[in-house]
Amino acid sequence: MTTQLTFDQAPSAIRNPRPKPPSSFQKMYRHYRSSLIATGSILAGLLLWEFAARLIIRDKLFLVAPSEVIVRSIELLQTGEIQQHTATSAFEFFAGFALSAVVGVFGGLMIGTSKLTRNIATPWISALYSTPTVALSPLLILWFGLGMWSKVIVVFIVSVFPVLVNTQAGIEGADERLVETARAFGAKRSQIFTKVLLPAAVPFIVAGLRLGIGRGLVGVVVAELFGATSGLGYLITVSSQIFDMGALFAAVVILAGAGVISTELVKILERKIAPWRA
Amino acid sequence: MADALTLERSASAHTNAKMQVVNLVKRFENAATGQSMEALSDINLTVQKGEFLTIVGPSGCGKTTLLRILAGLIEPTSGQVLLDGVPITGPSPTLGFVFQSDNLMPWRTVWDNVGFGPEMRGERKKDYAPRIEHLLELVGLEGFAKYYPHQLSGGMRQRVNLARALAIEPDVLLMDEPFAALDAQMREIMQDELLRIWKETGNTVIFITHQIDEAIFLADRLLILAARPGRVQELMDIDLPRPRTLEIKRTPHFTEMADHVWHGIERQVRASIRHEQFASGAPKRSGAELAS
Repeated sequence: MTTQLTFDQAPSAIRNPRPKPPSSFQKMYRHYRSSLIATGSILAGLLLWEFAARLIIRDKLFLVAPSEVIVRSIELLQTGEIQQHTATSAFEFFAGFALSAVVGVFGGLMIGTSKLTRNIATPWISALYSTPTVALSPLLILWFGLGMWSKVIVVFIVSVFPVLVNTQAGIEGADERLVETARAFGAKRSQIFTKVLLPAAVPFIVAGLRLGIGRGLVGVVVAELFGATSGLGYLITVSSQIFDMGALFAAVVILAGAGVISTELVKILERKIAPWRA
Repeated sequence: MADALTLERSASAHTNAKMQVVNLVKRFENAATGQSMEALSDINLTVQKGEFLTIVGPSGCGKTTLLRILAGLIEPTSGQVLLDGVPITGPSPTLGFVFQSDNLMPWRTVWDNVGFGPEMRGERKKDYAPRIEHLLELVGLEGFAKYYPHQLSGGMRQRVNLARALAIEPDVLLMDEPFAALDAQMREIMQDELLRIWKETGNTVIFITHQIDEAIFLADRLLILAARPGRVQELMDIDLPRPRTLEIKRTPHFTEMADHVWHGIERQVRASIRHEQFASGAPKRSGAELAS
């Protein structure tokens, strides 16, 4: 009996060899394939840049190599300059953005629910939303000085409108059937607002915040370019004047990182306050 | 008119009337063209306590308008709806509405959707929680309390919709084609479930459908609405014994009734098809043809 079994099994195993279970390396590769490719793409780009800077351009004024950006960044870190400039810009950004988040959400809620407010505010919003308000920076610096507060106000002005307009759209776009459902269950006006309109607007509000972040970051830098005493935009201006391209790129890299991190933070926020959107 | 009302009211005292519709008229004004369209014309109807009334009729006969007036969501142009002899002026806490599309709040879990009515009324959670648990069991969703609507199938969402209406412990359930979006098998299961729940709760049910066999299978009485304007064409007693099983749909008596209802509606449906073609200005027909 046992001999027969082994006898039968042996040839079939030869004819149909089972696929080998994937090795742990293959498994890891499959799991991380897309992030590996993304990392590889970045590395290849940096290599190309390094290659072009060192062998083709060979002029630090026109194109500085990434390796030199790293070296210069480390120097700036050691002197504490980069920390100081980043802290200034971060404060300006967060203060301005927090202000526009609060004003944008509350203003959008008011405009979305009250016809009178809407009629008063709409012409202003239409006029200012599409205007490149960043261009007002020189005037604001004249009014509020070279310090941080003029930048806070610029960030506020450029990032408040996307939040405002999106919040309003979220309130106005709430499903009419859900409002009627709430009414059928005896919801009062205030309850319709808090239990239907507000949650319906959350995804729109988050989208507005995300747009506001992008605009706010641009706002910080541009405002600092027009006149400042500290900050990443200031670092960019000063470095370009003394042809310190390594420092210039260091500031740009930090700004890019700040954009990525803030957007990710908003995504986490969205998952926290809107878990129904899988 | 006043006499008719007192008469109806005194009648409701010794009959078992739950809801009464008295000389109800609803006209919609079209602001753009200034034309007015009569959606419901002089509807009179009495629904008994604990009765299961189904309403069928061709599309455009004002079924949903009637139900929304009964729910207090819109006002009639003239006439009245009485609930326990008292005129309805707005959404009432004793009326549960089951919508055609499930209308669940996507940001609320199944549990929170079912608890929506009690929450709006300001009941304390610990007071209504046992009721929600019981209802989730009743509709067979006890394991899904923490799910969001988008994670459920159409049938499950419709059961949440039903449980939500039951959670306010209504005397009357108003149901607007609640099973229309379900597939045929799921619909039969839900019909069965609904009858079981109706028996358990003793509610009065007013149920709109365009499915004739569904209307007969569920009903104590069946109301056929005629279209343009919506008016009562016929009220039929459905004398099938209860409890009813699905086999009853294949008995000769059931088919006879279904035929009868269909003949009642058929002319209406054909007329409404003509009306739509006429309204959209599609094939031009002579007046003689239209009248035939």
